[in-house]
Amino acid sequence: MGIFGLAPLILFLPLIGVLFNGLVGRRFVDYNRQTGEKWSGWFASIMALSAFAIAVAMLLGLQANEFHAEIVVLFDWIHAGDFYVPWAMQVDTLSVTMMLVVTGVGSLIHIYAIGYMHGDPNFSRFFTYLNLFLFFMLILVTGNNYLMLFVGWEGVGLCSFLLIGFWFDRVNEKGEPMNANAARKAFVANRVGDLAMILAMSLTFWTFKTLEFQPVFDSAVEMFESGHMVHFGLFEASLGGVLTAITALFLAGAAGKSAQIPLYVWLPDAMAGPTPVSALIHAATMVTSGIYLIVRSNVLFEIVRASHAVIPGINISSPDLVAYTGAATALVAGLIAFTQNDIKKVLAYSTVSQLGFMVAAVGMGAYVAGMFHLITHAFFKALLFLGSGSVIHGMEHGHHHISHGHHDAHDDFDPQDMRTMGGLRHKMPWTFRTYMVGALALSGIFPLAGFWSKDEILAHGNDHNVIVYYVLTFAAVCTAFYMGRQLKMVFFGESRHEAADHAHESPPTMTVPLIILAVLAALGGLLNLPFLSEPIAEANHHHAGGIWLALEGWLEHSIQAFHLSEEGIIHLPHTPVVLSPLVAGISTVLAVGALALAFFVVYGKRPSSATDPDPLQKTPIWWMAVLPFDTLYMKGIIPLFNRLADFLGYTIDWDLWHNFFHERVVRDTFVGFANFASDVLDRQGVDGLVNGAGQVTRWLSSGLRQSQTGYARTYALSILLGTVALLAYFLWPVISG
Amino acid sequence: MELTINWYIALSAILFSLGALGVLTRRNAIIVFMSIEMMLNAANLAFVAFARHLGDLDGQVLVFFVITVAAAEVAVGLALIVNIFRSKKSINIDEINLMKG
Repeated sequence: MGIFGLAPLILFLPLIGVLFNGLVGRRFVDYNRQTGEKWSGWFASIMALSAFAIAVAMLLGLQANEFHAEIVVLFDWIHAGDFYVPWAMQVDTLSVTMMLVVTGVGSLIHIYAIGYMHGDPNFSRFFTYLNLFLFFMLILVTGNNYLMLFVGWEGVGLCSFLLIGFWFDRVNEKGEPMNANAARKAFVANRVGDLAMILAMSLTFWTFKTLEFQPVFDSAVEMFESGHMVHFGLFEASLGGVLTAITALFLAGAAGKSAQIPLYVWLPDAMAGPTPVSALIHAATMVTSGIYLIVRSNVLFEIVRASHAVIPGINISSPDLVAYTGAATALVAGLIAFTQNDIKKVLAYSTVSQLGFMVAAVGMGAYVAGMFHLITHAFFKALLFLGSGSVIHGMEHGHHHISHGHHDAHDDFDPQDMRTMGGLRHKMPWTFRTYMVGALALSGIFPLAGFWSKDEILAHGNDHNVIVYYVLTFAAVCTAFYMGRQLKMVFFGESRHEAADHAHESPPTMTVPLIILAVLAALGGLLNLPFLSEPIAEANHHHAGGIWLALEGWLEHSIQAFHLSEEGIIHLPHTPVVLSPLVAGISTVLAVGALALAFFVVYGKRPSSATDPDPLQKTPIWWMAVLPFDTLYMKGIIPLFNRLADFLGYTIDWDLWHNFFHERVVRDTFVGFANFASDVLDRQGVDGLVNGAGQVTRWLSSGLRQSQTGYARTYALSILLGTVALLAYFLWPVISG
Repeated sequence: MELTINWYIALSAILFSLGALGVLTRRNAIIVFMSIEMMLNAANLAFVAFARHLGDLDGQVLVFFVITVAAAEVAVGLALIVNIFRSKKSINIDEINLMKG
């Protein structure tokens, strides 16, 4: 066991933070605002940092263990018949990668939040939720079975709900509780995906009789190689068909959590939460759990691909459906991002779009590329969100400054509206510099992190699925365009509002995490440089335990790559990173072009004031981005959903299930049996026997009863006569003899 | 005329029969009660007569027992009669027939 004995600490340290802030944090803050905030915030941050240290220890442990996965069992959770679920942690290269991202980015965001949440009346509640989120996210990535994954999955959903609705008492101009509504929307949209997860898990258990990852994968491979059918009681189905259903349901679950079409609608609204939450949960970590799920289940997806099973009706295999869903989401969300004026909404749609890239990558079988993009995206998108938080913070202070001086409250002022910004590069130099790095990394500009990870996905697309490649390339162009627009509107040009004139730089607790993340966003590509991975893998092959290891070789120990040959499945030990100079060249040229187009041409002069309409407004692209999906959602999906819910609720549940099955079949059968037991068996059988015995006795005794007159003299007479008779009997011999 | 034991036995038998007749025929509980006392004393007379005749004191001892029991019986019986009178305003034993089957 050794160093892996520390693994449970990664869960319990954040939990200690939850207990501290949940139970006593508020007293500290109420007692003394200044030091209380430090205690509350730093305690939570130190717990997160310690968890990061444990994750690093796990990394070193795996290195020493020659990258073999280690299962750490905490205790048996469910043990009922065949159904066995331990609470066990799977420490392997994939889960450690996720642990490092979650705790590393998480720690930086904790520290940032100390500055950002300064002065909030519920300061310690915020850190309670943040630590609780870390706890559940780590359960999600460390569980060694689907049920533990699902516990974390639900837990992070809960934390997401709590944190989106953190300012639940805020109302919009119509008096609606918009933040609470956004929280509910996220929760309900996720519930749809969670239902699919439950069905997928049930089907997995039914098929493989276990929910633990490795046994499921092993028996799936074994069943695939032997070609046996899967038996469900009286029915049987081909393994490919069953896994198609399971993987399609996983896709639906991932679509909920990772905001893919058609369930992405909750993520933009989730920006109602505090900005550190948007950065941590709704950009860097929680929303990537769908990608983690698919990467974790890569064996099942690959078997579906190898068995050529397709989803009936649409004739697409489930991994391809994953790729198409991701590509479509990447493009649609990228287009919608053009039309947003809220600085965070742009980033939200950008997140949806980048998640689409990752989903498309894992759908094409490029699991390492998907994970690589997940990591780099965590760096630069967390950076961008924290940068936007810094901007909002600065704008709020600027607005506070002017309304303080003029005594006329600008109630309709929105500190997140990019139209009121402009020229902030001079006011907030560090925010600007770091934001610039993040935006260029996101746009895929050489040599920042996004360039490497995005091009790896594009190169895979070029090799494996050309449609996906074209769609993703176009989505990448969109990415560069909306980031160019955002940079121009926020940081360049002239200030378009007084608040922007008086904005100032944020405190060091906010800028230092920004700088660290900027460094990571710039250098993240080193994790998986294409021309380095081959020699590094070579070197590691000869010197096991070497510290330098490219992501590709590192993740190979968890991700089993399959290739179908004549004899069945063979495991491919190594798949080198591909860099296609053509693909990379095209995408870089397009990205630079789109950035320049947005920066110098479309938004070169406009908007010149806060009320100046967007240059793209009233152009087809604007309507294309705004209209179809909102309309489709409101007019198409929601009525359809309502009718389906009506049908399920009224017809199936009420009429068929309740009225027919419960009332007629179950209740009437039961009442019939009860009536038979009561009338025939009890009244006529048992009661008849008892009453009959009584009646016979009564009939027999009716004659004798006459002798009981109740008169004392009758009894006296009978005693006398009896005595006389006895005397006569005994004395008769004396008298006669 | 000498008073032989036969006279005592005859008197005792007559008294006992009168008592029994009283118990069987009278309605008044007090009278029934007195009749019972008469039967007891008829028996006492026979005891004493035989004791004298046989020259044995056992009979006389038994008479004391009977007197004692009779005294106890009077106490209990009169208490019963008083309570019956209180509840029924009558001591007619024909009205006391709760035990009728």
